[in-house]
Amino acid sequence: MNKKYLSYGIFFLILLILPFFLSSRWVSVATTFLIYSAVALSQDIVLGRAGMFNMGHALFFGLGAYSTAVLNTVYGVPILLTIPVAIILPLVFGILLAAPIVHLRGDYLLVTTIGFNIVFTQALKNNIFGVTGGPNGIFGIDVPKIFGYSFSSQTSIYFMAFGLLLLTLFIIRNLETSKTGRALHYLNEDSLASECVGINTRFYRLFAFGLSAAIAGLAGVVFAVQFSAVSPEAFNFLQSVLFFTIVLVGGPSSIEGVLLGTFFMFVLPEIFRQFAEARYLIFGVAMILIMIWRPKGIWPAKFGRIPKYVFKD
Amino acid sequence: MDIFLQQLINGLTIGSIYALVALGYTMVYGVLKLINFAHGDLVAFSAYVGLVVMMQLSGAISSSVIIILLTFLVTIVVIAISGVTLERIAYKPLRKAPRLSAVVSALGASLVIENGIMLIWGPRPKIFPADIVPNINWNIGGVYIGLMQLLVLVISFVLMFVLYFFVNKTKLGTAMRASAIDQDAARLMGINVDKIIMTTFIIGSSLGAVGGLFIGMYYRGIYFNMGWIYGLNAFVAAIIGGIGNIPGAMLGGMLLGIFNALISGYLSSSWALALTYVLLIIIMIFRPTGILGERVAEKV
Amino acid sequence: MLRKGLLGVLAFVVVLLFGVQAAMSDDVIKIGVQAPITGKFASEGQSIDKSVRLIAKQYNEKGGILGKKIEVITCDDEGKAVKAAICARQLVDKGVIAVIGSYTSTCAEAAESIYYKAGVLQTSDGTSDSLVKHGYWTFFRNSSPNSAEAAFTAEFFTKKQHYKRIATISDYSTFSTDLTNAVIKNIKKLGGNIVYSGKITSGSQNFTPILTKIKSFNPDVIYFGGYYTDGGLIRAQMKQLGIKADFVGGDSNDNPEFIKLAGKAAVGAYLVNVPLPEMLPYDTAKEFLKAYKDAYHETPASIWTLFNVDGLRAILYSIEQTKSLDTKKIADYMHNKLKNFPGITGPVEWASNGERIGSAYMAYRIGDDLKYHIVYRH
Repeated sequence: MNKKYLSYGIFFLILLILPFFLSSRWVSVATTFLIYSAVALSQDIVLGRAGMFNMGHALFFGLGAYSTAVLNTVYGVPILLTIPVAIILPLVFGILLAAPIVHLRGDYLLVTTIGFNIVFTQALKNNIFGVTGGPNGIFGIDVPKIFGYSFSSQTSIYFMAFGLLLLTLFIIRNLETSKTGRALHYLNEDSLASECVGINTRFYRLFAFGLSAAIAGLAGVVFAVQFSAVSPEAFNFLQSVLFFTIVLVGGPSSIEGVLLGTFFMFVLPEIFRQFAEARYLIFGVAMILIMIWRPKGIWPAKFGRIPKYVFKD
Repeated sequence: MDIFLQQLINGLTIGSIYALVALGYTMVYGVLKLINFAHGDLVAFSAYVGLVVMMQLSGAISSSVIIILLTFLVTIVVIAISGVTLERIAYKPLRKAPRLSAVVSALGASLVIENGIMLIWGPRPKIFPADIVPNINWNIGGVYIGLMQLLVLVISFVLMFVLYFFVNKTKLGTAMRASAIDQDAARLMGINVDKIIMTTFIIGSSLGAVGGLFIGMYYRGIYFNMGWIYGLNAFVAAIIGGIGNIPGAMLGGMLLGIFNALISGYLSSSWALALTYVLLIIIMIFRPTGILGERVAEKV
Repeated sequence: MLRKGLLGVLAFVVVLLFGVQAAMSDDVIKIGVQAPITGKFASEGQSIDKSVRLIAKQYNEKGGILGKKIEVITCDDEGKAVKAAICARQLVDKGVIAVIGSYTSTCAEAAESIYYKAGVLQTSDGTSDSLVKHGYWTFFRNSSPNSAEAAFTAEFFTKKQHYKRIATISDYSTFSTDLTNAVIKNIKKLGGNIVYSGKITSGSQNFTPILTKIKSFNPDVIYFGGYYTDGGLIRAQMKQLGIKADFVGGDSNDNPEFIKLAGKAAVGAYLVNVPLPEMLPYDTAKEFLKAYKDAYHETPASIWTLFNVDGLRAILYSIEQTKSLDTKKIADYMHNKLKNFPGITGPVEWASNGERIGSAYMAYRIGDDLKYHIVYRH
């Protein structure tokens, strides 16, 4: 256990000093990495831990980002005050949208969530309520200010994203060791059996959706601040596919796995930009190979020492 | 009235292409329980292969009927082989893996095919020749229908009926249905499930190849990334009809095409795509297994 | 074990970046290209990249500029705003003094403020009016803006063609929506009658539903403000549905592929744009097109490539004239002293907000010979 904390300590320390060694482009990439990690970790709550095939997670991420963008640019609300809305709105939507569909079996849920995502981006493009800026999106979002200090430099935004990741990890660590976390794990393993032992599966599934939407919404705020712009394409269905893939390539229910997955799916393509045209082809091959060699992800979750005969498949 | 009929024909034409592609999704899902996300890109690939074959042949042969027949034949063979290869490389090693791993593998395969097309043929759209199928257009009481449209409709319907009879009346078709219901039991009955899976990919890919050729010959412009949009629509069609269900995929494709046409025609073209997915969500909520229902029993 | 691996990768990244910065030196002039090398607009982006490299090669063969070689650094923004911001930072880090791009207005705009803050010159063919709104001294538009095209189109509709019932279609892109809205506004200002305006999803290929609906409004003309990939199909499907209305396409329909897509249906379609590459009467244009063809055995993707080339040529010329690499001085020269620079796409000069002065829009009709015939110009 101590070893685990030590390695986390080292990991955080590296993240802490990283921006002072990187050029501004790579600080920007690192910031996006932190934000995407938080979104992927929140996606993992639904996909990995609760075992629901959600392929529309960019919706909640976008909802948070657009809440901040609209409140800030249209109504002039300071960024910090938009945060509660950017958390609560995705939370409410997460629960409302999930309520009629959580009982659906795997693939049907997957298709329905794709549907939600497509309706969402279409609504943004159609400039719904006249505030989303249509296909252009919204430009010129402010930076947050606390006590006269404004988070305008790339490095300060990086630390904001770092804070977001720490908060997400804290929430997930608590979730892992709580009654809710265990309930999610049971219903993922066998929903019928978990219902038989008295777990209210519907409640916990909605809980997972709500929590994951809220975290994604908060990540959306940092995203909107980082690029000072939001546009529909940043939250379209293909982005959802990216988050979905991050979790599965990295390793569902595994924090280390999801972080590695984000690194693999987002940072590596940035590093190998010189391959320009061929890089997505190589990338696709890598996805297939990883799944063949490590079907449970690069760094699969471990659940303590379980004797082999217990989990024979 | 003529506007309504015109919209119906518009919808049926695109709908039958969706249906052909949807059959590929639904058949693979039936036997492997896998959403084959690379199927759409295989369809796009078939359009490119078809164009190359057609251009080669039109230099050598003068009869356009023979050119078209040969193009279909060669393309179908190439795509069927590609489909089987795809299964061997990307899906077969994952039969025993968690189900979502195969989905990721499929997404990876989709990236490979799409970007492979771009590397081979370049990012600019390619265009089918205009005069291979004569540009004949009939005006029946204000409703217009073209020769190519008629061919798309007739050939699609014929293929679907042939498939329906094949699956329901032949020995191989019965084996296919058996493998879809319970692979282990099918194996115990002496069915070579691997062979069935291969047959499924051959048939699914061939139908997709016909769909891809229709897209190329009817709309003429083909893009390296068009697989996504057709794949997604066809996939939705398969789900609406009840995935794993062959008549369901046909019905779903037609309904999707007609629904899309009527929405654009009578409500709003800006919201057509969104409303199509709203319909999908409503169907999922009230009839979670699609209109005709899923044919495969769920193991509890 | 893997955790150590992660550390290793991070260390590798750090080393990589230091390496990049150490490699910076002063014996070359670095020019950046920010363009969609992959993705939907890949053909345009690649053509821009090739052209910039061609021009750089031509200069370098003559001994470079101010005695220094030109080095071209390309960053692929994939046509996505999010990547554009990252590209801009990357190019700034690598020490470019000027950037060509990006092809799409959205990406140009997303990167604009970064170049402005870093004092890097930017020249883009983006036509969205909002690009010059900020008044950044670093930004130079090398094409004509949407507003000029929209005003011209409205005049063509009301004064030349006398259309009574006008239908419009756009797609969802920034460019297309803005252009089409501007056209609608200008037509209404001139007293024209818009009977229908709708939207299509670019690349969806089947436009018969919306066209059938438009048919029921019985318009004289259908205006399409999107890209040729959709425009050619719209024209073909109009004929197939027996729609007698004229078709007028905005500038992005002007592409050789439009005619190939529409087939025989292309005859009689109108297009509004600045002149085609091969229709450009200027000697510089003929020279450049020949050089491009010799180097790459194809023609540039579209006129947009040539606009960008003009932006680049003007910047390089201004560097030579000012004998300076101080971007402020170069920009000052471009704003105030550069007049009537012989460009490939016509005389080049800029207003103080970075807007290119003078536009030469024309309306063409595609004749029975499938060639362009000028039917209206200022």
